Amino acid sequence: MNIPLDHYLMLSAFLFAIGLCGALARKNAIIVLMGIEIMFNAGILNLIVFWHYRYFASVTAQMFAIFAISIAAAESAIGLALVIAVYRHYKSVTLDEMTSLKG
Amino acid sequence: MDHAALQHLAQQQWWIPLFPLVAAAIQSLLPRGQRKLSAGLCIVAMGVSCVLALRALLATLGTGHHEVERVFFNFTWFHFGTTQLDMGLILDPLTAAMAAMVSFVGFWIFVNATGYMADDDNFTRFFCFLSLFAASMLGLVISNNLLLLFMCWELVGLCSYLLIGFWYFKPAAAAAMKKAFITTRIGDVGFFLGILMLYYKTGTLNMYTADGNGALQQAGALAHVAGWWGLSAASTIAFLLFIGAMGKSAQFPLHVWLPDAMEGPTPVSALIHAATMVAAGVFMVGRMYPLFTAEPGSWVMDFVMWIGCFTAVFSATIAVAQFDIKRVLAYSTCSQLGFMVMGLGAGSLVAGQFHLLTHAFFKALLFLGSGCVIIGTHHEQDMRKMGGLKKYMPITFWCYLIGMLALSGVPPFAGFFSKDEILLETFRRSKAAWGLATFAAFLTAFYMTRQMFMVFAGKWRGGDQDHGDGHDKHDDHGHGHHGGEPHEVPWNMWLPIAVLSVFAIGLGFFSHNYGLYLGVEGGEAAEGKAIVMGASLTVVALGLLFGWLIYGRKTMEHATDEDPLAAMGALFTFLNRKWYIDEFYEATVFRFTAVCAVFFRLFDKLVVDGILHAIAWVAWAISQMFRWLGDEFFINGGFDSGCETVRLGGKTLATLQSGRVQNYFRVLSLGAAILLLIYFFT
Amino acid sequence: MELIFWILSAITVLGAILAITLRNLIHCVLSLILFFLGIAGHYFLLRADFIAAVQILIYIGAVAVLMLFAIMLTRHVTGDEGPREVLGGKWWAGMGTAVIIAGLLWAIIRKDSLAQTLPAGTAATSVAEIGKALVANWVVPFEAMAVLLTAALIGAVVIALEEVIRKR
Repeated sequence: MNIPLDHYLMLSAFLFAIGLCGALARKNAIIVLMGIEIMFNAGILNLIVFWHYRYFASVTAQMFAIFAISIAAAESAIGLALVIAVYRHYKSVTLDEMTSLKG
Repeated sequence: MDHAALQHLAQQQWWIPLFPLVAAAIQSLLPRGQRKLSAGLCIVAMGVSCVLALRALLATLGTGHHEVERVFFNFTWFHFGTTQLDMGLILDPLTAAMAAMVSFVGFWIFVNATGYMADDDNFTRFFCFLSLFAASMLGLVISNNLLLLFMCWELVGLCSYLLIGFWYFKPAAAAAMKKAFITTRIGDVGFFLGILMLYYKTGTLNMYTADGNGALQQAGALAHVAGWWGLSAASTIAFLLFIGAMGKSAQFPLHVWLPDAMEGPTPVSALIHAATMVAAGVFMVGRMYPLFTAEPGSWVMDFVMWIGCFTAVFSATIAVAQFDIKRVLAYSTCSQLGFMVMGLGAGSLVAGQFHLLTHAFFKALLFLGSGCVIIGTHHEQDMRKMGGLKKYMPITFWCYLIGMLALSGVPPFAGFFSKDEILLETFRRSKAAWGLATFAAFLTAFYMTRQMFMVFAGKWRGGDQDHGDGHDKHDDHGHGHHGGEPHEVPWNMWLPIAVLSVFAIGLGFFSHNYGLYLGVEGGEAAEGKAIVMGASLTVVALGLLFGWLIYGRKTMEHATDEDPLAAMGALFTFLNRKWYIDEFYEATVFRFTAVCAVFFRLFDKLVVDGILHAIAWVAWAISQMFRWLGDEFFINGGFDSGCETVRLGGKTLATLQSGRVQNYFRVLSLGAAILLLIYFFT
Repeated sequence: MELIFWILSAITVLGAILAITLRNLIHCVLSLILFFLGIAGHYFLLRADFIAAVQILIYIGAVAVLMLFAIMLTRHVTGDEGPREVLGGKWWAGMGTAVIIAGLLWAIIRKDSLAQTLPAGTAATSVAEIGKALVANWVVPFEAMAVLLTAALIGAVVIALEEVIRKR
C-alpha cells in the first residue's frame, strides 16, 4: 500500500480539528468530553502512523500508544464522574449555566 | 608740673565725670524715701569731681608758658572692618577752666536744690537726673573726640528734657520738654553734618592727636580744600557746627525753647539753662575755634557775630516786657549767650569764653536767688505779686543785687570786664554790631533794674489776691503758713548764692590772665578801648537811671497795676508776646509738618499698603493657579481618571473570567492557533 | 488498496462529525462508537493489531459504555432542542478556531514534503514482544499506569458517590 504519510497526517489533523470543534461549540458537557476523546484518538492515530512509517521495528511507539489510551480512558472516567457530580448539584450539564466561578 | 605728669593727669580725666555718673546710677536704684542718702551721695560725688577738676586746673596753671600746654589721651574704642572708632580725653586750659566751673557751680546748685525741692515727692529722681547731667556735661568738656563730644551733647540734651519736664503731669511742662528737645535736635542735624564732613575731610574724629593729624590740627590744611557755598572746607564745617551751637545755645531762630524751659524747677534752670548746658554750644565753638579762624576772609565769622548780635538785642527787648521772674532771667540768658557768640564771631576766643565763665557764676547766682524768692514767697513767680522783699529776705536781696550789678556790667563786678572785652572786639570788627550790642547792654541794665525794683522794693503785694493762683504751683503745698508773708530761706539755700556772689565780684579781675592762660596774645592795643569803655559805662548808667525813674521812684502799688511801660501800647504787647515768634512758627513750620504728616500717612496707606496688597494678591493668584492647574487638573484629574481607567479595565478584563470552562478552552485554543500561525509564518 | 484507506477515513470522519453535531445524545455516542471503529480499522491497516484490539476493547467497550451511563444518569437533555440550543454560546468562536487550526496544520503538513511509502518487508512487532516489553523495559510506566488506573477508579467512585453519601 502506498499511502503517503501526508494523508494520514492530514486525516489525523482533520479529526483533531473536528474534535476541537465539538469541544468548543457544544454546550453539553458530555459532548465536550466526546470531543476530547476524538482529539485524543486523533493524536494516538498520529503516533501509530509515525510508528508505521518510521519506527516500525521498535516497540516504543506502541507502548506509548497503550499508555496514552489507558490514560485517556482514565481521564474520561474521571471526567464523566465529575459530570455526574456536577449534575447532582446543578441539575443540568449545560456548560453555559455553570458560572459560579465567574469574576 | 612737667609734661609727663600732666600727661598722666590727662589719662585720669575720665574720673571727673565718673563720680556723678556712678552717683546717678546708684540713685536710680534708691527708693523714693531715701532723700538724705540720695542728696548726700549726689553732693559728695560732685564735690569729689570738683576737687579733681581743681587739681587739673592747678596743674595747668603751674606751667606758666605762653604756649598752651595741651595734653591728651586717645584710645581706640572698637574696631570694625579696617576702620576703628577712637575716643579721647584732653586736658588743656580751656577744658580745665570749664570743668572747674561746671563742677564748682554745680556743687553749689546741688546744695541749693536740697532746699528748693525739699517738699517735692520725687526728690531722689531729681538728684539722679541732676547727677547724670553733671556727668554728661563734664564728659563733654573733657572730650578730645568729636564722637564723644556729640554723645555727651546728646546726653545733656536728654537730661535737659528729663529735667524740664520733671513735673510731667503739668501740660505746660510736658509741652516745654518736647519743644526743648526737638528744637535742639534741629540744631543737632547741622552739628552732625559738620562732624561727618570733618571726618570725611580729615579721616579722624580726634581733635588732637600725637602725630599732628588731629581734626583741629588739620584745620589749616582744610582752609585750602574746597567746601560748599563758595567756602573752604574748614569754614563749611565751622558753619555746620555753629548750627548745632545755635540750637543748644538758644540763638535766633532756635531760641524758642529756652523761655519755655523755665517750666522746670529753678535749680535746673540755674544749672542747665544758665550756667552749663546752654554754654556748651559756646564752648564747642571755642573748642573748634581753629576751624572758624582757618579761613580769614569767609563770611562764617561774620554770620556768627551777627546772629549773636541780633539775638542779644532781640531777647533783651523781650525781657523788658516780661512779668515772670524766671522768664526775665531766661531772656537775659539768651541775650548774654548772644553776647558770647558775638564775641566769638568777632574773632576773639578769649572774650567769648571769659564771658561764659563769668556769666555762669552770676547767672547761676541770679537763678538761685530767684529760686530763693520763689520759695520765700510760697511759690509765687509773678513779679507783680511780689515787692518789698528786701526787708523779708535780706540775704537773698544782697546776693541778688550783686548778681544784678554783675550782669548789668557795673564795674568792678565781673560782668563789666567780660562784657567790655566782647564790646571791644566787636567794635574792632564792626561798628554797627557794636552799636547794637551797646544798646543791648543798655536794655540789660534797664530790665534788671526793673526787676530789682519790682521784686524787692516797694511794698509786698502778695497778700492782695487769693494765694491759690500763683504760677507753677506744686501739687502738694506743704508750707505751714498759707497766704502769709514771705520769709527768708534756710541756710542750704542762701549759702550757695553767697559763695557765688563772691565770685561774681572777684572773677572779673582775671580777664587779662585768662587771655594769657588760654594762650591767646593779649592784644592790648589801646585803639578804641577808651570809646568802648566810655560808651559802656554810659549806657549802664542810663539803664540804671531809667530803671529807677520808671520803676523805682514810684513803685507798683497793687498787683493788678499796669506796668508803666504799658503806656507804649502795641509795642509793649509785641515785646510781651515775644515778637509773636511762637505763633509764627505755629502757622508756618508746624502747619507744614502737619501737612507733610497727612501726606505721608496717605502715601503709606495707599502706595505702600497698596503695593503690599498687590504683592500678596499676586502670590495668592499664583497659588490659585497652581492649585487649579497642578492640583485640580493634573493630580486630581489625572489620578482620578487613572483610577477610573484601571477600574474600567478591570471590569472589562473581568468579563474574561466568565466562570465557564468552555470559554477558557476556547481562548486556549485560540492562543494555540496564534502560536501555530507564528510558527508557520516565521 | 488505498481504497480501504479512503473508506475507513470516510467512516472515521463521518463518525466524528456526527458525534459532535447530532442532537440526540445517544445518537452522538453511537456515532462516536462508529468513530472508534474507524480508528481501529486504521490501526489494523497500519499493522498495529494489538493497538487496534486495545482500541476496540477500551474505547468502545469501556469509554463509550461509560458515556452511555453518564448520559443516562444526567438525563433531561435528550430530544427537544433546536440547533440553537445544541450549540453553546459563542459557538462560532470555537468553530472558527478549529477551522483555523485545521488549515494551519494542513499548510504545515503540505509545506514539509513527507511523502513516503511504507517501508516494505520489515517485521512488525508481535504481541509477545509487546508483552515482554511491558514487563521488562517498560515495567515502571506499567506499574505507574496501574496505580494511575486504580487512583482514577477510586477517584471516580468517590466523586460520583459523594452526593449520595451526603444525602444520607
